[in-house]
Amino acid sequence: MPIRILPLLSIIVLLGIGFVIPMPANVGKPDVIRIVSSLPRTGSARGQTDTIVAGIRLALHEIDYKIQLGDKTYRIEYLDLDDANAAAGQWTAENEISNAVLANRDPDVMVYIGTYNSGAARISMPILNKAGMLMISPANTAPELTKPGAGARCEPMCYRPNGEVNYVRVVPTDDLQGALAAEWAQDLGAKKVYILDDNETYGQGVANLFEAHARSIGLEILGHESIDLKAAEFSALMTKIKLRNPDLIFFGGTTQTKASQVLKDMVKAGMDKCKFMAPDGCHEETMITQTGADIVVPGRFYTTFGGLTTDRLSVGAGKVFVDKYTELYGKPPSEAYAVYGYECGRVAIEAMRKAGKKDRRAILEAGRSIKDFDGAAGVKWSFDENGDTTLQMMTGSTVQMVKEDGKEVPHLRWSKDLQPRTTTK
Amino acid sequence: MQILFAAIDTNALTQYLINGLSYGMLIALVALGYTMVYGIVELINFAHGDLFMLGGFLGLTIVTTTISLTGASVIGNVPMTAGILLLAFILVPIFCGFLNVGVDRIIYKPLRKAPRLAPLVSAIGVSFIFQNFGLFWGGPQDVDFPKLISNTNLLGESSSIRFTYQDLLVVGVTIPLMIALTLFVRVTPLGKAMRATAQNPTAAQLMGINTERVIATTFLIGGALAGFGSMIYGLTINTVHYQMGFLVGLYAFTAAVLGGIGNIPGAVLGGLLIGLVRSLGSAYVGERWTGALIFTMLIVVLVFRPSGLLGSRVREKV
Amino acid sequence: MKPYFPSWSLVAFAALVAYPLFPALEHHFFHLTNRSLGVELPGLFLFAILALALNVVVGYTGLLHLGIAGFFGIGAYVVGILTAPLNPFEMNFWLALLIAIAVTTFIGLLLGTPALRLSGDYLALVTLGFGEVVRFTIKNIPAVTEGTKGISPLPPPVFPGVTVDWNTDYRPFYYLALSVLLITFYLLYRLERSKLGRAWVAIREDELAAKCMGLNTSRLKLAAFSVAAGIAGLAGGIYASKMTSTVGPEAFDFNKSIFVLCCLILGGLGSRNGVLLGVFILYGFDYILSPIIDGFLQSSGLGQGKIWQQFSGWRLIVFGLVLIIVMRVRPQGLLPNNRVKDEMQHVQLPATV
Repeated sequence: MPIRILPLLSIIVLLGIGFVIPMPANVGKPDVIRIVSSLPRTGSARGQTDTIVAGIRLALHEIDYKIQLGDKTYRIEYLDLDDANAAAGQWTAENEISNAVLANRDPDVMVYIGTYNSGAARISMPILNKAGMLMISPANTAPELTKPGAGARCEPMCYRPNGEVNYVRVVPTDDLQGALAAEWAQDLGAKKVYILDDNETYGQGVANLFEAHARSIGLEILGHESIDLKAAEFSALMTKIKLRNPDLIFFGGTTQTKASQVLKDMVKAGMDKCKFMAPDGCHEETMITQTGADIVVPGRFYTTFGGLTTDRLSVGAGKVFVDKYTELYGKPPSEAYAVYGYECGRVAIEAMRKAGKKDRRAILEAGRSIKDFDGAAGVKWSFDENGDTTLQMMTGSTVQMVKEDGKEVPHLRWSKDLQPRTTTK
Repeated sequence: MQILFAAIDTNALTQYLINGLSYGMLIALVALGYTMVYGIVELINFAHGDLFMLGGFLGLTIVTTTISLTGASVIGNVPMTAGILLLAFILVPIFCGFLNVGVDRIIYKPLRKAPRLAPLVSAIGVSFIFQNFGLFWGGPQDVDFPKLISNTNLLGESSSIRFTYQDLLVVGVTIPLMIALTLFVRVTPLGKAMRATAQNPTAAQLMGINTERVIATTFLIGGALAGFGSMIYGLTINTVHYQMGFLVGLYAFTAAVLGGIGNIPGAVLGGLLIGLVRSLGSAYVGERWTGALIFTMLIVVLVFRPSGLLGSRVREKV
Repeated sequence: MKPYFPSWSLVAFAALVAYPLFPALEHHFFHLTNRSLGVELPGLFLFAILALALNVVVGYTGLLHLGIAGFFGIGAYVVGILTAPLNPFEMNFWLALLIAIAVTTFIGLLLGTPALRLSGDYLALVTLGFGEVVRFTIKNIPAVTEGTKGISPLPPPVFPGVTVDWNTDYRPFYYLALSVLLITFYLLYRLERSKLGRAWVAIREDELAAKCMGLNTSRLKLAAFSVAAGIAGLAGGIYASKMTSTVGPEAFDFNKSIFVLCCLILGGLGSRNGVLLGVFILYGFDYILSPIIDGFLQSSGLGQGKIWQQFSGWRLIVFGLVLIIVMRVRPQGLLPNNRVKDEMQHVQLPATV
């Protein structure tokens, strides 16, 4: 057997390199605090996450990316991480784990803002919990992530291996949204409702909560079905639904999960009197452009949103936020989640201020115990013992024709504030 | 209970059949491209679905630019709509056909004598490249395709069965195309050459048939059919997306295999079957199971008829 | 005596085994790129195991299999169902992994039985259909699989003597995945030279001749199917544990099967070293190189907005070109198996009956 010099040599060289490179002490940069966010930045959710990131940057911009803790001024670095990749076009477990591990290992990272998808949160929550890092979500609405009894046997404690709460969210959860949507549907005059969902965590979750509450307030549920996301059209499904003659179809899903196709096929099957309601995953202008102005006519499409939508903010105490945003970026936020990005940024800053030092543990404790926080919507709210916001505001939006350059253009506009009924059973 | 409710309603059944056949014809149109190419060069053209997708985007671009250039409202403006449609129905098939021929010339032709896997893998590569261009063209989200064809019920709005102008379009474009294709293959000299090449390329070549020309014609026709399919898809489903070619391509491929790959009536039969299974499955089993039903049917059919429903020809190459 | 592996793969393996021993390398890489090789590599190793599994069917036996991700998914879900604290089983990870291998092997056998009657492209489509049926099934029986949520969280394996935290320290999974990869690699090396392995190659070369020589080709094909399925299930089981979740049905779709096939083709069908190289290049491109370059683009202010301004937006064009160019210039792959090389370079006459 000939001696293979080259491979042997390269082993020696590799070992040598390994020994020669010194191990730097893992102390990070003494004057820098890092905040990371982990949101799907590639793929179809990009439009929404762009505005969330813009909201976070606005909050950091307000303090000029500097913060005084104790007698020391720290520079804040913001890292906008992607938990999606081009291969999948949506969040992936691989990317989310990498982001969580990255945040955990970098000693300068103090706060983790994320995630957008509840499924991704399930993966990073235990890792960050062990790391004792404050995790603030701008968009997760699945109740079982925090609320005991809302999910399976071990939830939510299995996301908290250390037993303490490190995950907080600034957005109201779906149990509120599903219930309020059902009540709104009844207020709109619906009696017979058909429920569809996209078979995804978020959509199916809202649809189930909607169904449960709708039954309890006396709406007739004609059926509840999941669609196949990869299907191109739903004309057969709509034919079936048309036979049951519903007043309203509730679709638990998002713009990315075929909401516009379902709406198109509803009209195509001849149900042009039927109303269509969807949760906040469809609360974006893209929903209108994807469906087409001839389908999304006033009186047909309704959507709920957890919190206050941009146009609702502008007529209330939240106008300050909209103005600031418009000043920095030259246009008002295009998607409603911007305010939650901003809120996350402000919560992170507040937590650091309250902690008074660059220390994950102290920031975590300060963060989750935030009370009576001056919310961007102009309402004070607190984190409860599960890490959920006490903010209980919901907005119902619908389509209105707005004059733009002399043409009537449909836009999503605030229709009413949704409040839990005081006299439910 | 719900199942029974639907099962006793013959009107509903008719409606499901209309829906299913309408979708099935679309699939069949794309499946023809698969099956013809396979019959001639024994290549599973994985890029066919994505060619279809690019056709959809070209159609969308033509329609939207003409609308914005003329600035007129197309709703209810019949001559205007007809003009746009004519333009798109001419340009899109030409584009798809010649793109298909071009890809064949540049990529598959040099691999004609290579082992079977080489052109197959290259087709996967072409499919990737097409998808990426589709992504640049249309972005990652669903794009609305203007609803040029009215959704009015031809049987009158009070009728419980809906047969709309959109359904008419599908029938009116697909059936003449299929008849023309069958006549072309049966009657014309080029069609005859095509059948000869499919049977035995070497013998055909020895008989003086220019097999390369036959292959190019096949790719041209297959691509053009995909182009027609993409226009129909856009006009009836009204949504285009850069990954739409995947599902349509997969169903079309399945249709081609179900009917017996290489067999033209087989592809049509397969397409219609898939449309029906999807429609009836959605009605009587559940929307979310339709995809699984289609593939289960495929596996079952292939187990009992290993060369497809109409594929009698079992030719083992040694 | 010839060495088990060509020496270059020995170097690669040595480097991979040694990598975690030098935290300085990891540290510098991390600070330069904001990505951790230690976290990404175990995923690559598991993917390499999956690719080696597919290689048994496509590379050795020459049958086109487009549904390998289905078996990967079944493995992941079996381990997920058996170990998750959500379910009453809460089984030991290792036992669950063994069951996952047994289940996937059996399902491979089931799928192989009808597939035997089919030839070439029909077989490819049946495997493709199988993969899709698996995906739909996972999605549509939430009582067992939690639907699209994926079963999570899953506990890490328990290994005597390892006390570090499997979720925050990358090393346990790194070594677990690497050693399973090495074992698979070695076993496949033995298998290749066994009677079974040589019989598979005989089928690939000329099925009719193999049959004439008295080989029971049906049984051999079935064996290839189930061996591949079992190995894929093994990879899937570890994958679920590493991700602390079964992730969801979309993680096991047709795209994944195609991606594995691309790795095989790029590296060289039937060549274990080639397959590893293929996985290294393509998986590395997607999960290591792309995020790093996108990160740099983003921090330098480029790569905002339009999708074509992002490096990863060009991914499919890169993949497509790689496949086309490899097929034109070097159809036997980058590191071909010698026998395949001869076949691929041999110019065939048009097939005749």
